[in-house]
Amino acid sequence: MNKEASAHRRKKTIKFLLVHLAIIAFVVICVYPLLRIFSVSIRPGDKLISTDLSLIPVGATFEAYVRLLKETLFLRWLWNSLLITVATSFIGVSLASTAAYAFSRFKFGGKKGGMILLLSTQMIPAGMLILPLFLMIMKLGLMNTYLGMIIAYSVSSLPFSIWILKGYYDTIPRSLEEAALVDGTSQLGAFYRIILPLSTPALSIAFLFNFTTAWNEYLVARVVLFSAKQYTWTLGLFELQGQYITQWGMFAAGSMLVTIPVLMVFLYSSKWLISGLTLGSVKG
Amino acid sequence: MDILYSIYEVLWFALIVLTGIALIEGYFYYHFKFYDRRWFFPVALIGFPLAAAALCRCLGLAADPVKPFLWFLASEALITLFFRHIVKGRNSLAYLLLAPAFIGLALLLVYPFIFEIYLSFHDLKLTTIMQWKNTGLLPFVGLRQYVNVFTTSPLSEVTFWALLGRTLWWTFINVFFHVTGGFALALLLNNHIRFKGFYRTLLVIPWAMPQVVAVLAMRGEFHSQYGFINIMLVKLAAAYPLLARLGVGPVQWLSNYPLTTCTLINIWLGIPFMMVVILGGLQSISSSYYDAADIDGASYLQKLRFITLPLIRPVLMPAVTLGTVWTFNNINVIYLVTGQSGGTERADILVSALYKAAFTYNRYSYSAAFAIVIFAILFFISVFYLKSFDAAKEER
Repeated sequence: MNKEASAHRRKKTIKFLLVHLAIIAFVVICVYPLLRIFSVSIRPGDKLISTDLSLIPVGATFEAYVRLLKETLFLRWLWNSLLITVATSFIGVSLASTAAYAFSRFKFGGKKGGMILLLSTQMIPAGMLILPLFLMIMKLGLMNTYLGMIIAYSVSSLPFSIWILKGYYDTIPRSLEEAALVDGTSQLGAFYRIILPLSTPALSIAFLFNFTTAWNEYLVARVVLFSAKQYTWTLGLFELQGQYITQWGMFAAGSMLVTIPVLMVFLYSSKWLISGLTLGSVKG
Repeated sequence: MDILYSIYEVLWFALIVLTGIALIEGYFYYHFKFYDRRWFFPVALIGFPLAAAALCRCLGLAADPVKPFLWFLASEALITLFFRHIVKGRNSLAYLLLAPAFIGLALLLVYPFIFEIYLSFHDLKLTTIMQWKNTGLLPFVGLRQYVNVFTTSPLSEVTFWALLGRTLWWTFINVFFHVTGGFALALLLNNHIRFKGFYRTLLVIPWAMPQVVAVLAMRGEFHSQYGFINIMLVKLAAAYPLLARLGVGPVQWLSNYPLTTCTLINIWLGIPFMMVVILGGLQSISSSYYDAADIDGASYLQKLRFITLPLIRPVLMPAVTLGTVWTFNNINVIYLVTGQSGGTERADILVSALYKAAFTYNRYSYSAAFAIVIFAILFFISVFYLKSFDAAKEER
């Protein structure tokens, strides 16, 4: 009896050990490239290109970071991206919040058609609309401007945001609004005083989704912006990694400075993001 | 000073947007609330077209305000009739809440789509773009652009049919490995083990990183001399001469195998998302199913086939559909890895070739027709998926 029990326990231990080993292998594949970037970013000048695989190279230095901040427009690029992205996200979430409320709480002609239209916009290839938007922005004289970028970005995430927020509004009991209506508040007042405060998590998810989509975008930026002073960080970083001459140190330093804040935001909000995703997939 | 100016520029734009929204709401409020007044028609038919024509003049969209005025007058007549006799003020709050978002979508999604269709029947290119910019006129060419899509190369060598085959292959391989990799990881994590949250957090890093950084960094790892992969291959060949004799050694990934390189990078990027979705699905399966199966003596594989897969399907199907659409449309990985000037065509798929045709070769109308064709293909794929999804629903 004891012999069988110990054999079973040993088998289980081996099983869990194998599970851990397999997961760790996957983790290394996922994480190692990021660590490599960090390693490159702290290498001294004469080892920018090297076959050395150590994560902390001999003579580690932050020289690449200093050069990045002094010799390039990196901070300007970050500022440009931040400005465009915040403006885009604010517009997107604002428009989505009211539209989602209408879909959630009212019955009206065209409701089903409206939802289908929103879904169908998700099927349009993103690359497909870059050309007409580019031509529209050109005709309006907004090339190489923040406004051109904000216009190009501002409704790309709108359908998805409406979808998320409608799903969340549907989970809020109507009795809360009915109580407010009894007290004499208008429907619009109930929306602002009750629904919006309760929807902070969903609004945050929608804002974050809009933000990351615009923040990481590259293709539209490449055709709208063409002076280095107006670049977003994606264009700037791409410039640092040319096909034949890569400024590895500065590229790696810039990558780290962009990636670390994003990872921190992601970790902080990961519970919301993941629950938001599964919520959406269950409803869908 | 530049910083302050940029803030000023964006705040000014925000003010314009708010003004635009206020005008839209006012416009619709008028039509919903005053449709039955005696003065409804005269005010609407005089005021709004004049205001709209003046706005066009200010924005420089039309040199002569008379023509747009007539257009606005005709459309306003139809709109006022619609609100007077059909809408009659019903559902006003819902429509007022919807108006800003849907007008935004109309201006920036629907109109560009229609404009693209218009372009595909005309001939806009470098030699005609100034004429179009100044007069708005383009030579009409009928279906010629569509014929060109199927019979000429969008770039310099690769044909539409080669691109189509390559795109389908690219999509299938990526989605296949995203699902199998994500599923394997989800199964591994769906055990009662320590550090589970820690592992899951680390495993989503490729997804959490900005894609530009992730792709460019991985591109560096495929560098012929200094990339991690070739460094390891060289070390292996040096340590095990037998492997060297079998041909193991450094590979010119980017120049000899560009599409394979892009595929490997995209697989690495896409597994985390699928893992998260599938793990969510696995965790929602009640353990009572497995307990009952254990009593019947079912094996691990039997439980996987008859319990896990059927129950996870409602979560998996939408994720696979989305993944297929995203992968089919994935310009980023292909372009960032191979898209620089002089870059190879051997990794291009439909959408990356479209992007290059439009912005590297400046073949605007050709690209518009090309885009419509790609959209039609994708629409067909989506309908097929949705039908099979409905069929799956009916099975239950």
